[in-house]
Amino acid sequence: MFIPNDQMRLARAYVPFQVYSEHFNPMEGLLKGTIFPELYFPYRKYHR
Amino acid sequence: MWSYEKKLQYPAKVGKANVKMAKYLITQYGGPDGELAASLRYLNQRYTMPTPQAKGILTDIGTEEMAHLEIIATLVYKLMDRASVEELKQVDLGGHYADHGKALFYVNGNGVPWTATYIQAKGDPVADLHEDMAAEEKARATYEWLINLSDDPDLNDTLRFLREREVVHFQRFGETLQIVQEYLDSKKCY
Ligand SMILES: [Fe+2]
Repeated sequence: MFIPNDQMRLARAYVPFQVYSEHFNPMEGLLKGTIFPELYFPYRKYHR
Repeated sequence: MWSYEKKLQYPAKVGKANVKMAKYLITQYGGPDGELAASLRYLNQRYTMPTPQAKGILTDIGTEEMAHLEIIATLVYKLMDRASVEELKQVDLGGHYADHGKALFYVNGNGVPWTATYIQAKGDPVADLHEDMAAEEKARATYEWLINLSDDPDLNDTLRFLREREVVHFQRFGETLQIVQEYLDSKKCY
């Protein structure tokens, strides 16, 4: 279960801030749709 | 103000013409979760955002959705390339042909025209950003259903790119929501 920290309030949605670390090179980023590995979530066809 | 680059954000390749797929894909042009709805929603909501970051992100993403609209138009046009009237009739696009010839139009996959009732502007930044985050998830899901409907690897490559952009947009709207909520909290005085 996700445990909220004490700065979080009920009845509110939270998306964690992205913390910049490394990046794909520009051409790979263009092909993938993002230069950020931590934001790359490709779709697998017929996955569901 | 905008400046226009005479190229697409991502190549719009199709393996071969496919009128049926064009009919499905048009929903990302003028359907409820399509790129027209997305861009018009964000570019309109930005005026009532309370912080410069929030105004900026809606402008940036609304602009990028325009670039996606252009990619979708190109894909649909290529999928319909040189389709005969007979081929249009076979996939039940005779009605479209009667109204629009071989032009594109802002419709969903069943030919229902785009309507402003697809979008909202509540004037409440938290409510509007929640709509925007939901819109990104619905656009992402639409791309997944379209990928399931397509067996064209070239088309799917472009659809995967567009889908991933919706994932990134969701993240940016989520971060914007935190910024706006913290700003509104700081403004509250009791
Ligand atoms: Fe988007």
